[in-house]
Order: sequence, then C-alpha cells, then structure tokens
Amino acid sequence: MQVSVESLSSLERRMTVQVPAERVQDEVDRRLQSLTKRVRIDGFRPGKVPFKVVKKRYGDGVYQEVVSELLQTSYHEALTQEKIVPAGAPEIEPRSMEAGQALEYVATFEVFPEVEPADMNGVAIQRPQVEVSDADVDRVIESLRRQRREWDDVERPAADGDQVVLDFEGTIDGEPFDGNKGEDMAIELGAGRMIPGFEEQLTGVQPGEEKSIQVTFPEDYPAGNLAGREAVFSIRVKHVREGRLPEVDEDFARAFGIEEGGVEKLRQEVRGNMEREMTQAVKARVKDQVMDALLERNPIEVPESLVKEEINRLKEQARGRYGAPQEGEDADEGYRDEARRRVILGLVIREIVRRQEIQVEPERVQAELESMASSYQDPQQVISYYRSNKQAMETLEAMVLEQQVVDWVLEQCQVNDEPTSFDALMNPSPENESS
Amino acid sequence: MNEERLLKVLKGPHVSEKATLLGDAANQHVFRVATDATRDEVRAAVEKLFEVKVASVRVLNQKGKSKRMGRFQGRRNHWRKAYVTLEPGYDIELAGNE
Repeated sequence: MQVSVESLSSLERRMTVQVPAERVQDEVDRRLQSLTKRVRIDGFRPGKVPFKVVKKRYGDGVYQEVVSELLQTSYHEALTQEKIVPAGAPEIEPRSMEAGQALEYVATFEVFPEVEPADMNGVAIQRPQVEVSDADVDRVIESLRRQRREWDDVERPAADGDQVVLDFEGTIDGEPFDGNKGEDMAIELGAGRMIPGFEEQLTGVQPGEEKSIQVTFPEDYPAGNLAGREAVFSIRVKHVREGRLPEVDEDFARAFGIEEGGVEKLRQEVRGNMEREMTQAVKARVKDQVMDALLERNPIEVPESLVKEEINRLKEQARGRYGAPQEGEDADEGYRDEARRRVILGLVIREIVRRQEIQVEPERVQAELESMASSYQDPQQVISYYRSNKQAMETLEAMVLEQQVVDWVLEQCQVNDEPTSFDALMNPSPENESS
Repeated sequence: MNEERLLKVLKGPHVSEKATLLGDAANQHVFRVATDATRDEVRAAVEKLFEVKVASVRVLNQKGKSKRMGRFQGRRNHWRKAYVTLEPGYDIELAGNE
C-alpha cells in the first residue's frame, strides 16, 4: 500500500492512498469462493456451481462491496502508518475504481492542531467575596411573604396592587376571536402580566361594576392575527381584593415545610440555601473568567469540521430547549462563535489534563455528589441513582475534572478577592459585570 | 431459409452442469430449440445470431415431465435440445445470466 500525504494548510491534509490490484482481486476471489458453497442457481446442484458461473453473476456486486470496505480499512491503515489523527470525518474521492486496476483514492481531512497551553502567569482573576447578611435573608423572607399573600374582599375602588376578579369578553371590530372570554380571572393591578393598557383601565373599578375598555394588542403579540389590533373588552367586576402579607411566625414557617423551630429555623434554612447558591455562583463566575482567560491566551486555529460538529450539537440542544428549529446558514452562523469557543477550550483543557496528568479524584466526586444531593428531598436516593448510573457518573466526573483544571489554572494566575454584595453576585447587571 | 423462421428457431440457452462442462471442455453450446427445428435450421440460426462458425449440430427430443396436481395428471410440453459444436477459435458469451 502506497500512501503520500501533503499539507494543504496548517490543518488540512490530503492523503493519496494506493491499494495494489492483487489485494483487491484476492479479496474478491476469496469471497466468490465462499459464495460458490452457498448460492443456488437453476440447473446446478447446490455447491456444484462452477466458479466461472458464480463470478459472472456476482462478480460486480462483490467487487463494489470489497472496494467500499477496502476504502474504510485502508484509510485507517494509512492513518496508522502515517501516524495521523484526523479531526472529523474525511472526504474521500476515488481516483480509479476499475476492476483489475490498483485502487487509488484521495482523502482530505483536518488534523488536530498542536496545542501548547499558554502560560497563565499574570492573568488576574476576580473572585467575588460575599457574606450573606441578615438584610439579604430579610429580603428573601419578604419575597416569600409576597408569594404567600392572602386576598381579602374590599368594598372600594381598586387601586394599584389590588387584585380584581372579573369576567371579560373581548371583540375586535365587533367580532369575537380565539380566547376572547374569561371567567373569574384574577388580575393583579400593576403586575404587568396583561397586555398594556388593560390593567391601567381597571384602576378605580368597584365590585359589581360593568365597564368596557379599549386596548391595542402589542405589535409583537404571539398570536399573529391579533398583533397590533384594537380590541374592546366588556368586563364585569366581581370582587376587588386587597393583599395582606402574612405575619412571619410559626405558621408561616410551617407553610414552607419547617415543622419545628419556627422562624429561626426558617431563617437558617433560607440562609443555608442562599449560601449554597452563592458558592455555586462564585464558582461559576471564577470558572467563566478562567475559561475566558484560557481562550484569550490560546489563540489556536481549530479544524473547521470540529466547529461544524459543535454547531450541530448546539443546534440540537437549542431544538430540545425551544422546540422550533432554526434552519439555514444564518442560524449556523449564530452558533459559530460559541462553537469555536467550545472547541478551543475543549482542546486546551484536554491538553492541560494530559500534560499535568490530572486525574479525577474520587473524594472530590464524592463531595460534589453529596453537595448536589443535599438540595434534594432524599439525598441518599440521589446518590444511589448516580452510583448505579454509569452515564450520570461520567458526566459528574467530567464536571469534577473540569473543576480540577480550573483549580490548576487558578494556581497559575493571580486571584484577587473582591468584596461583592449578594444581590450583585446573583443578578449581575451589565455595569458591575465588567468590574 | 427465411430470416423470420431463423429468429424463431432458438428458444434459449440450456443451463446445466453438463452444459457448462461441455462449454469449457469441447466448445459445445446447448440450446433449447423449436420442436420442429432441423439441424440445418439450428446451424443457420446460431451462425446468424452469434456470428460464429458452427462445426456440427446434434439434436434430440426430450419428453416433458409428467406432473400431478392433486387428482389431475398433467404433462409439461415436450421440447427439443440442440448441442452445437463451434469451430475452434469461436465462442459464445451470453450476457450476465448464464
């Protein structure tokens, strides 16, 4: 077998492979021989069909079969012979496929780039340092109270923050439309959940009042036939209700599943949750920075085929999440940057793992598993699920390995602790993102 | 001999172990021919259709096999077989389905 490789660009390779005619012919004959034992042809007893006859009838098919198999095997042989590891599937173009001639083809593919993980010295990472303060806990308790709000009927005009219970029927140009009717709808004024203008016009209604209001559906309304149309709703107000926040007491705590210990326990629980979230957010923030730094320091050229593969994977994920697939070249371009980033990081991380001989530490996996499980109702069940499910375990191990790489990189760079408030950490707005 | 008749003489090749053997060993080819065909007609037909020289032709009649279908006794058609020996240097290549 003759193999010659030429470089088209830094990553693209063109490999010309020549398989001698005898090798093809031998294989074809061998198969035909085994066929003569099995085929049935009219006029011959089974097993007594002359080779010549079998060859005449089956020769071409077997030849095609052998060639396509030889393309595969000789391609792999050629790769091992030349010690090349391709990234992605090759493009194979046959040169000559005539029977009795040497099989010759050209395979074009890309190779993995040589990755030299850059020195991370001098990269500064900002690690947010957060204390969960009492005030932060108070804020969460406050929002829990709001969720548990109770509504009392009142006999007065509805004001902002009140709940209005009403029946409604809407028309456009006197015609009804889909979903135009509702009964006993509870609408909270000022929550902004209805189409604009609807809630505003309810301000001041009395219980028992009937009124017709006029609204315009917004241009970007999901139901296309309604978008931008003007509608008239005739409404009948049944109740006006005022919100009442529940007292923070033992009953309140019980509503959140705290049977004993009352408010103090609830606060502890809330704080625990917040701290867990915080640790995770800090980790994620640091990891993002590390990844960004790795990306910036390692401007490697990546094989197009890997990027394409990654784009497809991203598309698949997006499809799973949003349902409606976006097709066409434009959609692909949208994923390109993200895909490139992932490919580069994947290559760099793999190289770091290889060079530093980083291995998954079982203790860390165990710790990660326990901390993850602790937020579930029945931690033991979660743990045994992971222990028995190999795939889930692998995902977890990959995660830990990644974390270990991040830790290793962190050792190389300069880490600055940066005091941050809980809110700023959990809800990063664009301004304090950059700080 | 008219051409129309010659086209009707040969019914098809007769494929069997013996026929392949003879084809390899003695340059003889076996055909199923019309029941009323004569040696001369077969010779002319083969020479015309395959563009070869025929050395000799031997013919024989084969009785149709008797077949039973339930209660009914039946019989396949009788047929006629011709062994055609070609002059040295000539051969008949039948396409694909030998």
